[in-house]
Amino acid sequence: MEMLLTNYFETGAIILFGVGFATLMLHRNLIKKIIGMNIMDTAIFLFFIAKGYIKGKEAPIVIDSFKGVSNYINPIPSALMLTGIVVAVTTTAFALALTIKLYKHYNTVDLDIILRMRGAQND
Amino acid sequence: MINYIPILNILILILFSFIMIIIKNNKTVKFISLTSNIFVFFLSIILVSKVLTQNIITLSLGDPNNLLGIEFYISKPEAVIGLIFTFVMVMILWYSKFNLDKEVSENRISFFYVLINILLASLLGVIYSNDLFNSYVFIEVSTLSACGIIILKDKKENIKATVKYLIMSTIGSGLVLMAIAYIYSITGHLNISNIHEIIITNYQFHRNAVLIILGLFTVGLGIKSAVFPLHSWLPDAHSSAPTPASAALSALVIKVYVFMLIKILFRMFSYEIVNSFIIMDIILLLGSMGMIFGSIMAIMQKELKRMVAYSSVAQMGYIVFGIGLGTISGTAIAIYHIIGHAVTKSSLFLISGLFIDKTGSKKIEDLKGIGKEMPLTLGLFTLGAFSMVGIPILPGFISKWYLSLACIEVGRVPLILIILASSLLNVLYYFPIIINGYFGNDNLDGKIYKAKKVSFTRLLPIILLVLSMVVIGAMSHNLIEMFNI
Repeated sequence: MEMLLTNYFETGAIILFGVGFATLMLHRNLIKKIIGMNIMDTAIFLFFIAKGYIKGKEAPIVIDSFKGVSNYINPIPSALMLTGIVVAVTTTAFALALTIKLYKHYNTVDLDIILRMRGAQND
Repeated sequence: MINYIPILNILILILFSFIMIIIKNNKTVKFISLTSNIFVFFLSIILVSKVLTQNIITLSLGDPNNLLGIEFYISKPEAVIGLIFTFVMVMILWYSKFNLDKEVSENRISFFYVLINILLASLLGVIYSNDLFNSYVFIEVSTLSACGIIILKDKKENIKATVKYLIMSTIGSGLVLMAIAYIYSITGHLNISNIHEIIITNYQFHRNAVLIILGLFTVGLGIKSAVFPLHSWLPDAHSSAPTPASAALSALVIKVYVFMLIKILFRMFSYEIVNSFIIMDIILLLGSMGMIFGSIMAIMQKELKRMVAYSSVAQMGYIVFGIGLGTISGTAIAIYHIIGHAVTKSSLFLISGLFIDKTGSKKIEDLKGIGKEMPLTLGLFTLGAFSMVGIPILPGFISKWYLSLACIEVGRVPLILIILASSLLNVLYYFPIIINGYFGNDNLDGKIYKAKKVSFTRLLPIILLVLSMVVIGAMSHNLIEMFNI
């Protein structure tokens, strides 16, 4: 329990990941699924960035003068997550565009109903 | 100069795809796409010949010590897989030159070539890259472009299949990114070779974390490569896509992720580490289940392309089975099967496309007597089916034979029964098509000899694919020796 509290960044990130994962898996509504996907991605960003964070240190941006390596946090996770955010945004945009198309063809965003329609067609 | 071929391959494909977006004329787009792919194919040949003498080529971008930069690592399996994939892609593009206009509307054709170039570039990126995060980005690019080529055919079921595929693979990539975060938190590296050095000495102290990492990677990459219980997106996506796209998806895209799993399990960790966890037995179980249930579900299908797509699930089972044995020889067969199946399955899909085009029906039952109308085409299909079933010399047989030997090597003889059962089930769904196509008086009644003949130029890419399949089967000894690393 104490370990969970001291590493509260990681604990929070994993809880968020669980929330996002459950939303993505269990909800039938496509929009909610996309929201779940975003929560999951955000949880991973939090987890990753927490790995590079050192308490009391500054963001690695040199403004006036360089203060020495030990005064900044690890910039690599932040830089990686910048790419991660770009990837997540692209996927979300694509998924939303698909949702609009889907709604135009089926008049619903409920995946269960849509998948049932397919089953009836096929068998 | 030769050391820069991996990055050149990727850059050439991506640059040409951006040029193609601007061009409106479809003929020019087809020409540019084919030329750039053929160019990359020749560069891959040079790369293979270089790797054969030099064993390993590494290329560091950004940082010579690989602490921050991205490294490309090409050993024999990477180079050979890259070569075969570019070859298959050139053949698919050649085929699409004649057939794509029938399935995709005129104004969308250029998008197909743009996306195919991006897709091949990202697949090569995943194969060559030695950096986990770089691989993740390439995986995402390949997923989005794969979704793009499915949705090109603007039909109801394509949109549904794409949504299903996109959601499933988002879960997969989320899990993979989480695994990368875990591994970064215990080693502080993203380069596979650097991680290997650290984890080989320290893994006893992080047993739980390593187990989580292995689980996340297996499930995440398993979803993307359609390993058995996670395959539900594959049949819809692969059967509804335009034929050249389904050939590319089934032959190339799903293989890349399983190859990345091989890299992670055996090069980033090692045989010793992964064999000390339960995960290998689970992978073996998933592989065996895939081999059996994939075939059973293929038997129940009524549409030709859906059947061939389910057959992919079964064939992925073989690859995963080889990985699950957890030995060097098992992995070598898995890599050999990746190559053999890439060539076989692409030719089968392209031939199914020709059947559907000529008969105008997706159903298997409408293919009766097709052997009289399209004798050469069904002959090629027969050769591909023989490889799937396991007739000697063809790659399917070689994989099964060496897989059985690998089972005996680790003392798990009962597993051979699963391989045999899966082969017999393969017979049950491929042979009816061939037998009803060539024989039976009822079937052949009223059919005119060579009535639906396809011109030789259109068949040529498929003939080349089938020929290369036979060559891969004949060269199996050298190839498998090459992959024994």
